[in-house]
Amino acid sequence: MRAIYLMARREYLSYVATWGFWLSLMAMPFIMAIFIGISVLAENAQPTRYYAVLDDTGIGFDARILDALNESAKNEAISALSDDAETAGRSDAIPAIAAAINAEPGLEGWPEAIDALGSPTDHSATEFQSNYVRVDPPARSIEELRPYLLGEQLLQIDGEAHPLFAVVIFRPGGDFGVTAEYWSTNRTSGGLRSSARDSLRDYVRSEALEEAGISESVLDRIHALNPGITENSPERGRTSAEVSFADSLPFIVGIVFSIGLWMMIFSVTNMLLTAMIEEKGNKILETLLATARYHEILIGKLAGLAAVSATFMLVWGGIGSGGLVGAQTIAAAADLPAEAILATVFDPGLLIPAIGYFAIGYLMYGTVYLAIGSLCDTLQEAQSLMSPMILVMMVPFVIIMATIENPDSPFLQYASWVPIWTPFLMMARLQTNPGLIELIGTTIAMVATATAIMALASYVFRQGSMGRANASSIKRLLSFKKAKSA
Amino acid sequence: MTETILSLDGATKRFAGQTAVSGFDLAVNRGKITGFLGPNGAGKTTSLRMSLGILKPDEGKVSLFGRTPNAKTLQRVGFLPEERGIYKKMKAEDVIIFFARLKGMTMPAARKAAREGLERFGLGGEARKKIKDMSKGMAQKVQIIATLAHDPEFIILDEPFSGLDPVNQKMLEEMIRDEAKRGKTILFSTHVMEHAERLCDQIVLISGGRKIFDGDVPEALSQVPRRVIIETTSDHDLRQVLDSQGIIAPQEAPDGLKGWTIELASGSDAQDVLKACVEAGVLLARFEPMRAHLHDVFVELVEKSNREAV
Repeated sequence: MRAIYLMARREYLSYVATWGFWLSLMAMPFIMAIFIGISVLAENAQPTRYYAVLDDTGIGFDARILDALNESAKNEAISALSDDAETAGRSDAIPAIAAAINAEPGLEGWPEAIDALGSPTDHSATEFQSNYVRVDPPARSIEELRPYLLGEQLLQIDGEAHPLFAVVIFRPGGDFGVTAEYWSTNRTSGGLRSSARDSLRDYVRSEALEEAGISESVLDRIHALNPGITENSPERGRTSAEVSFADSLPFIVGIVFSIGLWMMIFSVTNMLLTAMIEEKGNKILETLLATARYHEILIGKLAGLAAVSATFMLVWGGIGSGGLVGAQTIAAAADLPAEAILATVFDPGLLIPAIGYFAIGYLMYGTVYLAIGSLCDTLQEAQSLMSPMILVMMVPFVIIMATIENPDSPFLQYASWVPIWTPFLMMARLQTNPGLIELIGTTIAMVATATAIMALASYVFRQGSMGRANASSIKRLLSFKKAKSA
Repeated sequence: MTETILSLDGATKRFAGQTAVSGFDLAVNRGKITGFLGPNGAGKTTSLRMSLGILKPDEGKVSLFGRTPNAKTLQRVGFLPEERGIYKKMKAEDVIIFFARLKGMTMPAARKAAREGLERFGLGGEARKKIKDMSKGMAQKVQIIATLAHDPEFIILDEPFSGLDPVNQKMLEEMIRDEAKRGKTILFSTHVMEHAERLCDQIVLISGGRKIFDGDVPEALSQVPRRVIIETTSDHDLRQVLDSQGIIAPQEAPDGLKGWTIELASGSDAQDVLKACVEAGVLLARFEPMRAHLHDVFVELVEKSNREAV
């Protein structure tokens, strides 16, 4: 036990006692924070875009585009507040929210919509307001407007110079009585283009409907109809059967755990491989074997890297939980059900199987990686043996991704019975109540396979560490088998 | 009574049908320096690995401190393997502490031993230096310190002199002598005969996986015939003069001289040869009794063993 402890300690400290380890450990949440921060900044830092409309039709497309932009902003606001209502289990409030927003031409109905929502939200009306600002056209022809669009000439607005973002030109003619042209150097930001097209489409359609005897006011009434739907679960009581975001949390956390499990095992086993190759390359094994036995070295290494994984999980888990609570406290994300998320994450019904699946998966793949490492003196040598292993490990990840919306898919169910994939796939399926027989059956198969794999890997490790087998031995063995089967 | 620290009785080890060591017997006694000699591939490392329980013999028995090698008995052993390696990213002191603790020392005792060992080998100032930043010789010294840090009763050194420069070889030789003086038992393998001849109380020679000699140095030296080189200015035929002294053969000599090699017969010595020459009136220009070296013993016995194997 002492030898195992000392091996594990050395292995653990060889990672944890380095700056690089902590930098990489902190880098992940830091990178994620930067990523989220940049997304939020990009979202909030949309520049004001000045556009002009040349309307030769006399229909008033100028105002129609403005309406379409407002409509788009209102739809986004309704969608965001509806999501908040669903998260809070208040789907019944969605029609009232939509009515409040739609009651006004712009977002003036926002306070009434918030009242209808009845719970806090981190959204504000300003984030939905259009960043397109209409200006009077500085010229009447596209030839004269071209320098403005190319940025060679600037508009003077409130004493400041601004470029002209786009010009929309409406002229009489064409199959629908009106033609529209959109001029801009920007090919990616399509909000104004869509609004211009929508306003033209709406005009053409309403003309056609009026010709058919349906008035515009009737059409408006029809457009205002916006029924909601409540999502319920038979598992809930009769009085409050409505499903909220909290009900979906276990499924989401299950999938996240499963992906996290896969990523953790994949990265830690790679660390094991690198450490083993380093030890083999540095010819330390024989010195160790004069004191400790093979199994002590093997278990010590596995335990050391398991402790490294635990450090990863604790630090990331701590940062995640702290971030969640902090975000809620600071009210940057006041609608985050932090308590419900943390309760789900730390639910023993999910956490204990996650630890169990990690342990078995780690032992299965870890011993194989150690065995491969014991056969190789360099990483290059290991790569040729690693390729099939990586392919085998990729399969459960691909399956999880493909069935992320169908955790009860029969394919996922059958694949769960493949013992080397069980830890990842059963973790993803745990919240769909797979049934006791399946749960016990897959666990027995997984444990039996893990035992067999560990025994075989230990044997290979013994041969490899004493130099009685190497990467070429495996290749020879495989080519012999191929030749035999041919 | 002499205590046997390590014994191998009829130990045999095969790898993939090939016999590496066959029916090997070895007894290493307390307080002695035993040299384990043999050509490359003779089975030295396999025998040492069996001695430490790293490999299990297919046949025969291994006994270390009177028991099958186990965690307890191994704590009393310091082993320096032939394929030397060390954690390159660790600091010198930490490496020594790690191996000393594996051998059962407490942290404070291991730290003290590490510092003393480093001082003893002139590396006191390098304690916090990483192995990767040290020269190869310094790293080897660190490994030797790590081998001895727990003050083992029995020290096994597999080819300890390989890779060391002459100065460090001398230092290691002194260290082996010092440890022996302190009552430690030492077994070391080598194919550099000079070290063995200077250091060993007992010599064990292995070739083709079989023991071909086991005894002390004088006994080993007696395995090869003693020779006398003679050059004469007279025309005597020494084959007739020294007929009863051994095997006499002519050999090349400088111009004007006649050269002879006499392989002394058992019971005959250089004095007898000299006396016979003087009595016969042989005019001697050179008379050189040749002292046998372990190197000659090694070559002679290994070649004999190879001939017998064929």
